[in-house]
Amino acid sequence: MTEPVATGRPDGPLPARTTPVVPAEPPPSRHNAGWHRLHPLSPLVRAGRRVMSLLAVLIGVAVLNQRQVGDLVGDLVVVAIALAGGFVSWLVTRWQIADGVLHVDTGLFRRDSRRFPLAQVQAVDVVQSGLARLLGLAELQLRVAGGDSARGGRLACLRLADAEQLRRQLLTLTIGPASGPSAPAAAMPISRQILPDLAGQPARMLFRVRTSRLPIAILLTSAGAIALFVVAGAWLSAQFIGPVGAIAPFLPVVAGVGAKLWRQFNGEYGTTVVAGRDGIRLRSGLIETTAETIRPGRIQAVRLAEPLVWRAFGWCRLEIDVAGARQRAENRSEGQQLRALIPVGTRTEADLLLGELMASPPRPAKPAPVRARWKAPLSYHFLSWSTDDRYIVAARGRVCRKTTWVPLAKVQSVRWVQGPLQRRLGLATVHVDVAGRRVSAKIENRDSAEALQIVRSLPDLARAARSLDSQNPGRLTLPT
Amino acid sequence: MTDPGGAVGSPLAGPGPGEPEVRWLRPSPLLLRARRIEVAAVTVPAAIIGGLAGQFASAAAGIVIGVALVLAGLVAERILARRVASWGYAERNDDLMVRRGVLIRRLSVIPYGRMQFIDVTAGPLERSLGLATLRMHTAAAASDARIPGLEAAVAAALRDQLAALGEAQAAGL
Repeated sequence: MTEPVATGRPDGPLPARTTPVVPAEPPPSRHNAGWHRLHPLSPLVRAGRRVMSLLAVLIGVAVLNQRQVGDLVGDLVVVAIALAGGFVSWLVTRWQIADGVLHVDTGLFRRDSRRFPLAQVQAVDVVQSGLARLLGLAELQLRVAGGDSARGGRLACLRLADAEQLRRQLLTLTIGPASGPSAPAAAMPISRQILPDLAGQPARMLFRVRTSRLPIAILLTSAGAIALFVVAGAWLSAQFIGPVGAIAPFLPVVAGVGAKLWRQFNGEYGTTVVAGRDGIRLRSGLIETTAETIRPGRIQAVRLAEPLVWRAFGWCRLEIDVAGARQRAENRSEGQQLRALIPVGTRTEADLLLGELMASPPRPAKPAPVRARWKAPLSYHFLSWSTDDRYIVAARGRVCRKTTWVPLAKVQSVRWVQGPLQRRLGLATVHVDVAGRRVSAKIENRDSAEALQIVRSLPDLARAARSLDSQNPGRLTLPT
Repeated sequence: MTDPGGAVGSPLAGPGPGEPEVRWLRPSPLLLRARRIEVAAVTVPAAIIGGLAGQFASAAAGIVIGVALVLAGLVAERILARRVASWGYAERNDDLMVRRGVLIRRLSVIPYGRMQFIDVTAGPLERSLGLATLRMHTAAAASDARIPGLEAAVAAALRDQLAALGEAQAAGL
């Protein structure tokens, strides 16, 4: 391969490569024409943690009661059956790319044949679990809209080099005009438009998280506060009740909180954002690394979060939402969490990246009416919104200030909601929904007539923004 | 002005600034009957069982419990009646507006081009009254737009019309 892409190192300026559009250099295949197999070791990696824990349990049991060799045979049979199952599933799984569609066939008894029209792919990820990294393998994930993780395409596992190459190839196919007439007419024009702009652009590094800052920042969020609380509670009870037994009830909680903090640290370690030809590239991870490529025009929302304590340091977090849930290992999808472009950074870094995403992001400039203080005493001073011809922005939040930008062209529906207290005060909230189940920009506690005006005008603004986008795409991940 | 939607008819229905008047359509009056039947189906057996159970304590207790449950049912009927009256939908040129709610008022605007699919469902009770519920889905999980208690023929016609409009104006994600 031309470069060691997923090693966690940001790739410097890329030479203007010509990526082959034709499925070139098929990964090792012994099957009939065009069909490829996954890597033979993939069942091991897919089973991953489960195999590891099973082995650990079995070895533990075997060590504890050494004499009973008969039991060990039974255990080995279990392992052998699991391995055989994995091998068979590898044997019957094959994939190919033809006419802009990725086909994945699997299943021994019940054949399962899936097709993913590449024009509808929202993002392509290369994920490596710790075990996969040891073996030099990687998993390729296609995100499609619809939220249901089971619907996303997943090729687990390929050789890392093959996965990287395939990712580039898929992105070329998904962006390029080669995706053919199967693409839904409405989804394509934007992507096609930007193709000339993308060609020959060198990759530019936009952000890299500071490793020293990340653990401190994570500990300073609410999760960290909870962790502190739990540890303090455990310590106190140990002081008063005395023996170690007093700590025992806290252990599961400590483990849970610790796991959460670790997961966040592991996932966000070394986050690097690079603007490449094929969209924004995001790399992160300590043990399990993820390399994502988000295609231009696929970002549904951008959110800037400034937790209470972070504000004292001038830190913030920048997240984006892409339709289609990101999958974690073992096919659990990452539900509520958005993808952090900046896990923690300064406002300057965030502003730089915001300017990169949206040429001139509007600032939330219109504050809520004063009487909104009665409804929202804590969040009142954050409430504001604004819009321009491409984006709508709304700020809210009680302890953590959250500012959400939504491209008007992505607005799915608009809702006006008024609770009883708000009615008394003559206030109303406007929800601006985008695809997915996680984000909607909320313009909270506006004067109800103003809110009504927003609801009525927003669909027209969105329509105008869509036609504006189709003629002249806005930024949102587009390198310039 | 500070109280849009004060009356059940709701000033939301009134003409907005610089905009032709929105013509609100309502679900069938049979929807109220359906809701009443539902309330009665819960209230009457509950009152009878509660009343009989109360007899074990004393006759008076049984009567009090029975009457209280019937009253609760009547209150529920009033609430549901207001809620039914609050439903309304309007087809505009490029989007569908749906309003509902008494305590928490909601108004949803869904551009036709954003509709992913449209459901028409009818439960046994609705079916026996010739009603159906229309539900529109967009790619956003949060946007919820349904219109209950449409006459089956109206629902089918609206579904076809919305589907056609959606197809004509379809926009990608």
